[in-house]
Amino acid sequence: MIGLQEVGHRHEQRTPAGHPVPKGEPILELYSLRKNYGAVEALKPATMTFLSGEVHAIVGENGAGKSTLIKLLTGVIARTSGDVLWCGEPVQLATPNEAISRGINAVHQEVVLCPHLSVAANMFLGDEMNRRGLMRKRAMTDAAQGVLDDLGFNLPAGAVLGSLTIGQQQLVATARAAMRGTQFLIFDEPTAYLTRQESEQLFRLIRRLQSEGVTIVYISHRLEEVFELADRVSVLRDGTHVGTRAIGETNEAELIALMINRTIEQIYHKEHFTAGETLVETRGLTGPGFADVSLTVRAGEIVGLYGLIGAGRSEFALGLYGRHRLSAGEVFWQGRKVEIDSERKAMELGIALAPESRRDQGLCLNLPIGLNINLPVFRKLTRGLTINRAEEAANADRQIRDLKIKTPSRRVLASAMSGGNQQKIVIGKWLSHGAKLFIFDEPTVGVDVGTKAEIYRLFARLLEKGAGIILISSYLPEVYELSDRLHVFRQGRLVGSHGYHTASHEEVLAQAIGA
Amino acid sequence: MSVETVESSTGPTPRKGISILFGLTLLGLLLFLWLLLGFATNSFWTPNNISNLLRQGAMTAILAVGQTFVIITAGIDLSVGAVVGFTSVIVAWLLAAGVPLWLALIATLAIGVLIGAFHAFGIVRMGLPPFIITLATLTSLRGIGLLITNGSTISITNEAFTNFSRADFLGVPSLFWMVIVVAVPAYVFLHLSRFGRYLFAVGSNSEAARLSGVNVNRTIYLAYILSSTCAAFVGLLLASRIGIGNATQAEGWELQAIASSVIGGTSLFGAVGSVHGPLLGAFILATINNGANLMNVNSFWQRIITGLLIIVIVYFDQLRRRGER
Repeated sequence: MIGLQEVGHRHEQRTPAGHPVPKGEPILELYSLRKNYGAVEALKPATMTFLSGEVHAIVGENGAGKSTLIKLLTGVIARTSGDVLWCGEPVQLATPNEAISRGINAVHQEVVLCPHLSVAANMFLGDEMNRRGLMRKRAMTDAAQGVLDDLGFNLPAGAVLGSLTIGQQQLVATARAAMRGTQFLIFDEPTAYLTRQESEQLFRLIRRLQSEGVTIVYISHRLEEVFELADRVSVLRDGTHVGTRAIGETNEAELIALMINRTIEQIYHKEHFTAGETLVETRGLTGPGFADVSLTVRAGEIVGLYGLIGAGRSEFALGLYGRHRLSAGEVFWQGRKVEIDSERKAMELGIALAPESRRDQGLCLNLPIGLNINLPVFRKLTRGLTINRAEEAANADRQIRDLKIKTPSRRVLASAMSGGNQQKIVIGKWLSHGAKLFIFDEPTVGVDVGTKAEIYRLFARLLEKGAGIILISSYLPEVYELSDRLHVFRQGRLVGSHGYHTASHEEVLAQAIGA
Repeated sequence: MSVETVESSTGPTPRKGISILFGLTLLGLLLFLWLLLGFATNSFWTPNNISNLLRQGAMTAILAVGQTFVIITAGIDLSVGAVVGFTSVIVAWLLAAGVPLWLALIATLAIGVLIGAFHAFGIVRMGLPPFIITLATLTSLRGIGLLITNGSTISITNEAFTNFSRADFLGVPSLFWMVIVVAVPAYVFLHLSRFGRYLFAVGSNSEAARLSGVNVNRTIYLAYILSSTCAAFVGLLLASRIGIGNATQAEGWELQAIASSVIGGTSLFGAVGSVHGPLLGAFILATINNGANLMNVNSFWQRIITGLLIIVIVYFDQLRRRGER
């Protein structure tokens, strides 16, 4: 077995100035590290120590400040105040280059490599092997293949990166970071898109890097992974570092209590209503990414769709909403057979979709909040040729007030809002339009705990008024606690259906991953 | 977690206020140039020269307004200069064939509509990038125009038509009135109607617009048709002004139009733009050319100055936008 760091070359200058930190001694120390965005404290003063050669897990809910911490450590953003000691010396970490040159690297959840280049080219990007100014492509491919084989990744180094699955790309990104003389490697929810097998390959790599003396920071929602990998675990909550525990001295219950500081019942606000008329029924619905899906949604109930990312839930929702052409199956709306061949048609029937990705599908980020909220209703706001500007303003302001969107004005750009407020804008769009069936696709990703609870209470209000909800989530506790009926998707098919709390978490999970 | 940005600290930053401010800065620049030229030359503030300036700027201004609709959708229309030349040929040809004036005007504008619809068809149905499809029509239209005229020009003998561009109304050149005739409906369309909002939404995030029930394809058709129709209208004005139809006229006007639009605060990334901005941009460029002529600056220098001006203005606009975040 060759040391990973020997494969990469010319990295001597990247290691810290000649005095490696002995295992178990502090390699990175944070003192009162703080980050403010304007009036918002994204990270309250945090004092933490990372020990050389440990796997240090960081857990916390979405919006707890994990991303902010990573960005601070990798030099993506500058800190507001506080001190950082790297190998005992104060450092700025003001730019990504500074972090990388000190040996601090991160593997991000979303792969930031060049999809059109080959795996090998990506692994050597910015550090190509040259001979007299010409690239040694063959040598690089061979070296990359050596690394991949050695790691047991079973990936072709000559393949174009974009042709691999996201999980495989992530393994490439990891291998790339591993080759680059990294002393301190941060993984940001690396298993979110990985299959089980890929996760195991990743864990093997992490253990191996650890044995070579690399310090690992491992960020994840998944506590079972934390207990499998980590030596110590730190918990963040609402931007505050609430504690660090050695893994042997804690358990899942304690970590959850630290993470959320409230019981599950308090978060998942659930009211049961008598189910009314059937709003929508699909029979054998088939389209791009899903096949043969039959389900019904009645007024007053939440129908949960659970599955891994890529299981076909969002595709089903987009198909039902008229975004993609359906190839087979029937849709009945309030008992009447309908053809939903456009988004407009779906909206006219009374279907609203808060899509999966706010950035790509939900919002016009560089436009004002008001325009985003009113986008579905400009037709209604039009009098003659022009828009009634007073009504336009009033409508936007009403949603901002009702949903408690934290903004000084409706004219602020949507991009300036936090994840939770952005989600409220998306929801506000559809509240002002009105609908009978609301489809919420991952409504609480990147949303802080308080907003989450608000969103769940809003669900109850919608149900009370006689609406039905399809709730899509990859976070099992959420769909499990909120859904009156829970459907499980796997590889584009509906593989299981359960009533409220009639199956255990384990059963649902087993169906979703096909174990 | 990827969407995690946090509220800006700038407090109430009404975007509208900033855009008005930017508009005022441009207006200030324009007035400054006029004052400067007033001091530097004797002939600038003569009625003759002002009329001339308004005529010079008018056609670019109309093209820039049409171009802005397209740029707001995050597209580009490189064909407008070629459309101007081509439609000048069409109207001259129709008039020479004895078609009544009113019909010739309508038919020429209809050709503009068709060209725009073709661009949108290429983008929406064939999936071609706007840059490519409009580049293709740029060269093809010049070719078709040259075929029609056999490489020469068609003279226009209709006096009513050619007198129009020389006429004044209330002491202001009729060509400048045409800017107002285009700009007022354009303003209503872009800033007061829902279709204007849709242009911005499509330019910002077409998928989000689609999922909000906006007919994205129709919006793109609308933008390109408006741009080409504005260009056809300018073709009419140009034919009236020079009294001939010539397919090689208006060479490079697409770049003038894009430059005016960008100087006027339009973002080439889409979703940022106005009607008054490109108008001011067009007259700033016209003033620079006019002033350079009066001061006997080599016309080669005019091009260099124009280029530098684009860099400086857009750079300051970028700074302003960065500060806004």
